[in-house]
Parts: sequence; structure tokens; C-alpha cells
Amino acid sequence: MASSVSSQQDHQVLVEANSSARILSLNRPKQLNALSFQMISRLLELFLAYEEDPNVKLVILKGKGRAFCAGGDVAALVRDIRGDDWRAGAKFFLKEFTLNYLMAAYSKPQVSILNGIVMGGGAGASVHGRFRVATENSVFAMPETALGLFPDVGASYFLSRLPGFFGEYVGLTGSRLDGAEMLACGLATHFVPSAKLAMLEAALCIVDSSDPVIISSIIDQYCEQPSLKEQSVYKRLDVIDRCFSQKTVEEIISALERELVHKMDVWISTTIQTLKKASPTSLKISLRSIREGRLQGVGQCLVREYRMVCHVMRGEVSKDFFEGCRAILLDKDKNPKWEPSKLELVTDSRVDRYFSKMNTEEWEDLKLPTRSKHKLPLYAIAKL
Amino acid sequence: MDRAFQRTKILTNHLLQSSPSSPAQIPSLSSNACLDYSPPELSEGYAFDIKEMRQLLDGHHVADRDWLFGMMMQSKLFNPRVRGGKVFVSPDYNQSMEQQREMTWKRIVYLLERGVFKGWLTEKGEEAEMRKFAYFEAVGLFDHSIAIKLGVHFFLWGGAIQFFGTKHHHDKWLRDTENYLIKGCFAMTELGHGSNVRGIETVTTYDSNTGEFVINTPCESAQKYWIGGAANHATHTIVFSQLNINGTNQGVHAFIAQIRDAVGNVCPNIRIADCGHKIGLNGVDNGRIWFDNVRVPRENLLNSVADVSADGKYLSSIKDPDQRFAAFLAPLTAGRVNIAVSAVYQSKVGLAIAIRYALTRRAFSVKPNEPEVLLLDYPSHQRRLVPLLAKTYAMSFAANYLKMLYVKRTPQSNKTIHVVSSSFKAVFTWNNMQILQECREACGGQGLKTENRVGHLKGEHDVQSTFEGDNNILMQQVSKALFAEYVAAQKKNKAFKGLGLEHMNKPCPVIPSQLTSATLRCSQFQMDALCLRERDLLKCFVLDVSQHQAKGESKEHAFIMSYQLAEDLSRAFSDRAIFQKFVEAEATLAAGSLKDVLGMLRSLYALICIEDVAFLRYGYLSVDNAAAVRREITKVCSELRPHALALVSSFGIPDAFLSPVAFNWIDANSWSSVQH
Repeated sequence: MASSVSSQQDHQVLVEANSSARILSLNRPKQLNALSFQMISRLLELFLAYEEDPNVKLVILKGKGRAFCAGGDVAALVRDIRGDDWRAGAKFFLKEFTLNYLMAAYSKPQVSILNGIVMGGGAGASVHGRFRVATENSVFAMPETALGLFPDVGASYFLSRLPGFFGEYVGLTGSRLDGAEMLACGLATHFVPSAKLAMLEAALCIVDSSDPVIISSIIDQYCEQPSLKEQSVYKRLDVIDRCFSQKTVEEIISALERELVHKMDVWISTTIQTLKKASPTSLKISLRSIREGRLQGVGQCLVREYRMVCHVMRGEVSKDFFEGCRAILLDKDKNPKWEPSKLELVTDSRVDRYFSKMNTEEWEDLKLPTRSKHKLPLYAIAKL
Repeated sequence: MDRAFQRTKILTNHLLQSSPSSPAQIPSLSSNACLDYSPPELSEGYAFDIKEMRQLLDGHHVADRDWLFGMMMQSKLFNPRVRGGKVFVSPDYNQSMEQQREMTWKRIVYLLERGVFKGWLTEKGEEAEMRKFAYFEAVGLFDHSIAIKLGVHFFLWGGAIQFFGTKHHHDKWLRDTENYLIKGCFAMTELGHGSNVRGIETVTTYDSNTGEFVINTPCESAQKYWIGGAANHATHTIVFSQLNINGTNQGVHAFIAQIRDAVGNVCPNIRIADCGHKIGLNGVDNGRIWFDNVRVPRENLLNSVADVSADGKYLSSIKDPDQRFAAFLAPLTAGRVNIAVSAVYQSKVGLAIAIRYALTRRAFSVKPNEPEVLLLDYPSHQRRLVPLLAKTYAMSFAANYLKMLYVKRTPQSNKTIHVVSSSFKAVFTWNNMQILQECREACGGQGLKTENRVGHLKGEHDVQSTFEGDNNILMQQVSKALFAEYVAAQKKNKAFKGLGLEHMNKPCPVIPSQLTSATLRCSQFQMDALCLRERDLLKCFVLDVSQHQAKGESKEHAFIMSYQLAEDLSRAFSDRAIFQKFVEAEATLAAGSLKDVLGMLRSLYALICIEDVAFLRYGYLSVDNAAAVRREITKVCSELRPHALALVSSFGIPDAFLSPVAFNWIDANSWSSVQH
């Protein structure tokens, strides 16, 4: 019994260990490789073990099927919590955020092959690593505000460090980016056409080095410079900076509306509609999270996001997350009834509560795994 | 054993590298580096909630400050540079003076477009004023020049219109000023007169035939000097001038004059020259102005305290020229509040940098083959930096009080604001220079690099000790004000009230002959010691002045002769007033780790004040007790050592506003960083 469970678990993350590289494949293609608790536990276990193993020089992470990873397995999570156990949800995020931190402050390079969907938790499992390879199949998004959640998994760290106020735009609207856009804004470090991925992987398996300069030069050999498509949002950075730099969500929306006064623009009006459809609570806590994250290290970001996500799971301030999951993932009526329903009803003091400690017994802040005994590469040190 | 092994490895590396290496071996240089940078975050813990501490220190609008920090960090205009894998923003001080001025102006336009200055002159009330303070402080952490450019435009030019002007001035100028449709400056100082504003030589007469004032610079010493904004950008200025009506001098008044047209050409009858390159603040276009019988309409007199009728009659509601003059100096109070607060934030930057460096830099081994010792683990290094940390905390709480005093001002509180702002402005800016110098030295050679900020900030902020009131003169005014309080209390046989002098009504405190550690840490003892000094020095000062007067000297001359006591007294007042605010801030907290650490800082602040030579000079402390104070200081320093990182992190200065030497200074200086 126990062995069958564990073999099923092991199945969700496939391991190839024929060289100094370890190739980990997320293997739940039907669920677009959505991260289950088992997968996260397994990944954490493997990453910790590889750090101790001198034979392992680098870790490659990829997905089976058309997704790299579509996020955390939220549907399963909501089932658990509906059984009135928000702590099960908290446990999931505790593990996931620990993995995110380990990846961000990892002593060996991680190369993620993002040949398909990269969303939410999938971004958390890749963007923190040293190398992110996008392809023509990449689709990136942080869609949490539409679900009543907020960009978590350390997104307040990496989104806030995108150029200008692009991070606010991506985090609040859930806008989808393609591989070229990911490279342009820095979410991806390289762009390799999918046809060359097999060769890239083979080359990485024989490099036998953890030196990021060497690994980067290997990936460079397969790289192409993609061009941004005509309609790319990345060409609208000036508007994005003007509007998404505003202090509040309300001011962001009015700034967008002011842009429309000058001339009709489909992209701007779509953006406004997207924001108006998202959970007002989510928008406000997301903006504040990104703004705070801009001034914090990755560890502090995850500790703060863990507080926030526990409040979301517990549902005392708002139950938008459950409503969002119902409307988008379970009933699929795509018509969530947010509560509070309007931005102006989400007061500052409501927002503040998400950033406070949980006033529950036995709850503790996220404890980050200790990193002082490993020699960390420079890029990881800079994130602390 | 481990250490021996490590040492061998290091030596081997030295030997291997001494042979000429081929280019292919160069990358291995970084991976075999002898020293590793270890981020202090990995080894130092936080014993209290640094967010809570920051809220206490910043006091207000924390999220607004962060928004503005983000606004600056995310724009190319703020010169972001990557060093050691992190982004830092700071102006390029290697640019020419002209380029720096241009960049400062572009940054102001950017912040204007993002709505940062919305309401700065058109919104009223406590919330708006405090938000303005918060933004001003945040911008000042980026660069002193941009803060001064804003300060001149909004607080001096805008403030003069608000305070000296009446409704039609407000309607005409404030909104346009807020939107930068006009750019204002403030022409008070002249070559021949700075602190003594009443002695300025610019003269204005009234021409009743045309209904105009005629402003004139009669001699070279009357040229307006150091006028921020005048050299390049300003279109309008406030002119301070003697007003001469029908041959009678009515004293100093303020007028509005246009000095440039909308496209930037200097107006007729105005001559402008540059003040030239300075030891800091080169992003500010300080200029000199000469007025050649410049004519301005009658309504350009800012007439809140005095007016001239169309037919040329002088009218004033304030008959006493002394009081009239005092009313004119009101906007300078806002400036002094800003300067005092800004000095505290610069000290925070310096200390955050020096302490973070001291937590990552090692020097000398105590025993052979042992690892070198972290700078901050040397008691001597703690003794240099930790008391400054306590001082900065004390100044923060006092600065918050000063801001509140200003924002909640009433006609009755004017005297208190004047005395407290003078005292705090002088003491904070002097402290700031001392702190920055110590921090720069504590960073060694790295402190010399402009990109590391701490050394450069000295030049940038040196001006604070003389502008908007020379510190020495401000401190003399503090002593004179205390003198007046004392004399008034004696004359009317009334109790002391205000300026924190109520302790004078109580019996004189007694200092125990044997000071124990417990006594030294007791806030009542600390307060008693500081009050004792203030009380005694005030009596001595009054006595000294009256002895001079008894010899037939004037009061003014007596003050001049008693300058040493005046200095010591103003210092005693300031230390006590600051300490009081520290005690009050501590008292707002519930028992816990935050309060505990603040208690230690409060003790340390009190002890370094009591260590001041005045306590021995006037015999308040015995030599033995002075030694006990010094011993206790070293003890508190070592007890605060484990909190050092948390205490500077609580300043809430974003990493990007510190400097490379505060983070991975090895990587920031690596060969690969040279190649990029």
C-alpha cells in the first residue's frame, strides 16, 4: 500500500540521472502539470538531496506535454479547504514557498525549459532559478487576481523587478506573455526554438560544471533573438509606466481611462475590463504586495506572502478565493460574485489585515530553510 | 582542524596564482576567491519586528514613502546601476554641473507628471502636510539637490506666498506653482548680509504715478546671493528688500518679481550670474541677482502684515517693527523643520552603510591561523558606531515631535516652534556631519568612492549647518530665549511653563556619589542628570549676563561676552529636549522586545550626553562617576551589537538607496564587473 502510493508520487516527477545534470520532468500532463502537494514535496526532497550530492552540477526542470506547469493544484486545494481545514491549504503553501526560496537561494544552477504554459506556481518553480529558457510555445501568466488570490510564490519579488511598472501590469491583469515578451522583460533569460531543445538538453548533460558563465555560453549556442509581435504589450511600456505607477488601483484605472479620452484603444479598454472583472480585494492586496516586494529580499517576500495566503485560505476577511475557484475551476460559470464587490469598499484597514500575523494559536511565520552552510553563487546572494 | 585546512587552501591558492595564468584560467579567479562575502542576513537574527520599529521611526505614511521609492527605482532617469547583482540608484556626480542641473530638473518633471506634488500647495490640513513631509524625506534620500530644488520652489517661494501673501496672491500663484507653470525662487540672502536679514541693502520705493514698486540693488554687497534656482530655471522670485516710503524706511518686506520670461530669457533690468561650482549640491543652480530699478505692480507686495495704498501710504496692522520682522521669518521655520528631519535621514543612510559593512568586513586575526575578526566584533568599532545609532534613534523621535509641533502650529506655539526648530536644526545637522564622517572612516577606503555614498554625502550636506540660519546663531537664539524665560519667571515670580522647563520648578536633582550600573540605566537618573546641567547652566548664564550688565554693559554686549555659557546652555537644552522625546516614544510601547531594545538605546543616548565634557567642567560628575559612565557605555554597546543589523534595517531605507559597499562589495569590485 505504502509503496504504491510512493511510486505514484514518484511518477509525478520523473528523474533522469545519467550525467552530472539531473533532469526533472513534471509529469501530470492531463492537469497541465499542476503542482500537487506530492509533487512539491518530491521536488523539495530532490533539490535538497542534489545540493548535498557533489556529483550533481546542475538541475534541469521541464514539463511533460504542452505545459511546463499551469500552477499549483488549486482545485484539489479548494476541495481540502471546503472540508473546513484552511490549515491544509496553509501546509501546501508552506511547502511550496519553501521550495521557491530554496530555488531562489540555490547553490547550483537550475535551468527551466519553459516550452508551454507557465502560470502561477509554475512561474514560482522556474523564475527564481538562474536560467529560464523560453520557446515559441511559451505562454506566461500570473492569473491569480481573476481567481480571488494574488500573485504568490515569490512573484512580489520577481514581478516588482521587471522594467518600469510592467510587473504591476502583469500581476494585476494576469496578461499573457509569449516567449519573446518573456525574454524582453527578463522573465526568461534565453529563447531557444523548441526544435533545438533536445540538442540543448544533451549539451547541458555533458557540461559537467556549475559555473553559470559556462552554462550560459552553452545555452547561447542554441539561442535565437525572437522579435516582438506587432501588437505586443511590451511595446506599450510608456502607457503601462504612466498608469501602473499610480499609487492605488483606483488611480491606475482612472489613469487608463484618461488615456482613452485622447484616443480609442482596444488594448487599453480590454485592460480596464480585465481589472474591473478581477476580485477587488485581490487587486488591492496584489498591488500592495508588489510594491512592498520591490523593497524586500526574496525571503522577506515569501514570508509576507505566506502571511497573506494564510489569510486568504482562512477566509476571514474575504472569501473571494473560494468564489473565484467555484466560478472559474469548478462550476465554470465564469461569473464570480466578489465580496466586497467594489474597489472603494476594500478599505486600507481590510488590506492591512492580510499583511498582519495570523492571530491563531499554533500558527507561525514561514521559516526559511537555512542557507548559511552552502556556498551560494553571487546571483543568489544578491536576492537575499 | 578545519581552519588549518582552510588556511592551507588559501595559501595554496596564493601560490598557484603567483604563477602566470593563461587567459583560460581567469574565470577560476572568482570561484577560488580567498574571501567570501557572507550576507549579514544569513548570520544575524532579528530579535524584534523591524516593520514595527520602522513604523515608529518614520512615524507616518510608510506605504506612501515606499511608493515613491519604487517610483524612483523604476525609472531610468534616476540612474539605476547594477553592482554586485543589485540595483542602486544615485545621481551621476561625475557629470558636469550643467548636466547635473539638467538631470535634477528632468527628475522633478517626472515626479510632477506622476502626481507626486499634487496638493503640495493647494491642499490644507494635517494629513496633506504630513504626506508632503513624507514625500520630501523620501526624495531627499535619493539626492540632496533634488530636495533643495523642491524645497526652494514649494517651501520658500510657495511658502512665502502662502504666509506673506493674501487671497489674491494665493489664487494667482499657488496652483500654477504646484503645476510648475511658473518656477519660483527666494531672494533673501545678499553678499553682504546672511543671518542678519534686517541689514540687507536692497531698496524698494513706491512710484504713486504708475502704482508700481521700484526694486533696486544699490551696491555690490546688495546683490542677492546663493539664490537656488536663479541661475538657470526660475521664472519668478520673492525679493526681500527694505521698503522706503517717502524717505521713511519701513523695514524688510517681500515682493514678487519676474526674472525670466516663459522661454527662459532673463527679463529687462535683471542681471543674473552663476554662483559656480560648489562642494556639493551641484544639481542646484544657485545664482546671484542684481535689480536695476525693476518695476513691479503694487499688488506684488506680499501684504499679509503691511500694505501700501495706491496713493502711497504705508499701512500695517503690526505697529512694532520687531514683531513685523518676526512674522516675515515664519516660512523659514518650515525650512528648518525640513533640514532637521533630512539630517536624520542622511545619518540613517550613513549608519546603515557603515554598519552593514562592519558586519561583512574582517580585519586582523587575534591568534595566528584564526579567521580575521569582523569589524563590528571589535569593541572599539562598536564604540565608534553604536552610540551614533542611539543618537540617530533619539533624533528620529525628536524629529517626529518637531514635525507634529509644526503641523499643529498655533499663534501661541510660535515661540516654542522657533526655539525647538532652531535647536534641533543646529544639533541634528552637526550630528549628521559627525556621523557621516565617522561612517566614512569606518568604511575605510571604500568610503572614499562616490558610488558608496557615505563620503559624498558629507559634501552634499555640509551646507545644512549654515543655510536657513547659521547653527551657531540659532543656538545663541536658543540661549537668549531661555534667558528671557528665566527672567520673566523671576520677575513675575511665576512657575516655568513651556519649552520643557517645568523641571526648573522642582527641587534640584541630586546625583548619587557612587553611580552603579542599575542607576546609570535608570531613565529617571538620566533625566535628572540632563535637567541638572540645563538648570545650573541657565542660572550661570543669567548670572554671567547680569554681572556684565552690572558693569554698565548693554544686554546685547553681555550676551556676546557670555558666549561660552550660552553655547553650553543651548547644548544642554537640546540634549534634554531630545532625550525627553525618546522617553516619550518608549513609553508608548507595550512591554516586549521592541521596548527592551529601545530602552538600551535610550540609556546609551543619555550616557553619551552625560559623557559630555560639560559634566566634568562644571562638576556635575565626579571623576569616578565619569569613569563609571564610560564603562557603562562600552557595556551597552556590546549588548546592542547583536541588534545592529535589525536596528539599521528598521530605518527602512531601500537597499537601492544604500550603496555597493553595504552589500556584496567583493562582487561589486570583481574583474567581471570591470568588463561589463
